Amino acid sequence: MYKALVACRAGMGSSILLKIKVDQVIRENNFPIETEHGNLDSLIGYNGDLIVTMEDLTEELSGKVKYAVGIRNIVDKVEIKHKLEEYLESIK
Amino acid sequence: MLIELISETLIQLDIEAKSPEEAIRQAAYPLVQEGMIEERYVDGIIKALNNFGPYFVLLPHVALPHTRAEEGAVKNAIGISTLKNPVNFGNESNDPVKYLFTLSATENGSHLAALASLAELFEDESFFKLLENAKSSKEIMEYIKKNERSGK
Repeated sequence: MYKALVACRAGMGSSILLKIKVDQVIRENNFPIETEHGNLDSLIGYNGDLIVTMEDLTEELSGKVKYAVGIRNIVDKVEIKHKLEEYLESIK
Repeated sequence: MLIELISETLIQLDIEAKSPEEAIRQAAYPLVQEGMIEERYVDGIIKALNNFGPYFVLLPHVALPHTRAEEGAVKNAIGISTLKNPVNFGNESNDPVKYLFTLSATENGSHLAALASLAELFEDESFFKLLENAKSSKEIMEYIKKNERSGK
């Protein structure tokens, strides 16, 4: 099981919405990923496998985290699925 | 429940704004009036927008202005505003913004279930059609109430 942190800047809004959608996609596709939610502060010292966030944050994160998934449209399950598949492909 | 966080007074149709800041201030205004957020919460959103860019434009045409609870969120609430003329926020994938859902999210997590309902609404085309064509706040309240009750 891979561990993902779903995070955004403010902590209690976008990241919750994003987590709801990401969890739906994970469930529907049986991806071996479990999520928790947090804000940017939770990133410091995070020892999970990947970060899922909104796309505008991913640039800032590059080099600081193992893998960052950036989502553009929070309700686009096809986009979320595709980007999680890319991650799973990358660690094979 | 989502319906508990929204009220007719927090819904505004066809507000006029020329810039993201103007749109956010107008959209947040009823929440300040109703005591859901402090004025500094709105300043916090604008400041974050200027520092980080439009991080809360989360899906096409939809912005959810919000910031950290400690910046002046008083009660959990969601305001809905539609813009008469769409405004570009600088988010390439989701511009222009037509609808603002101003979020007051306190440390108290009671809004989490409501956000799940909101996520469902965001996938509902007829909800957006209604936002586009609604003549009164009441129509929007009724729709949300009906949808949440039917557990759709």
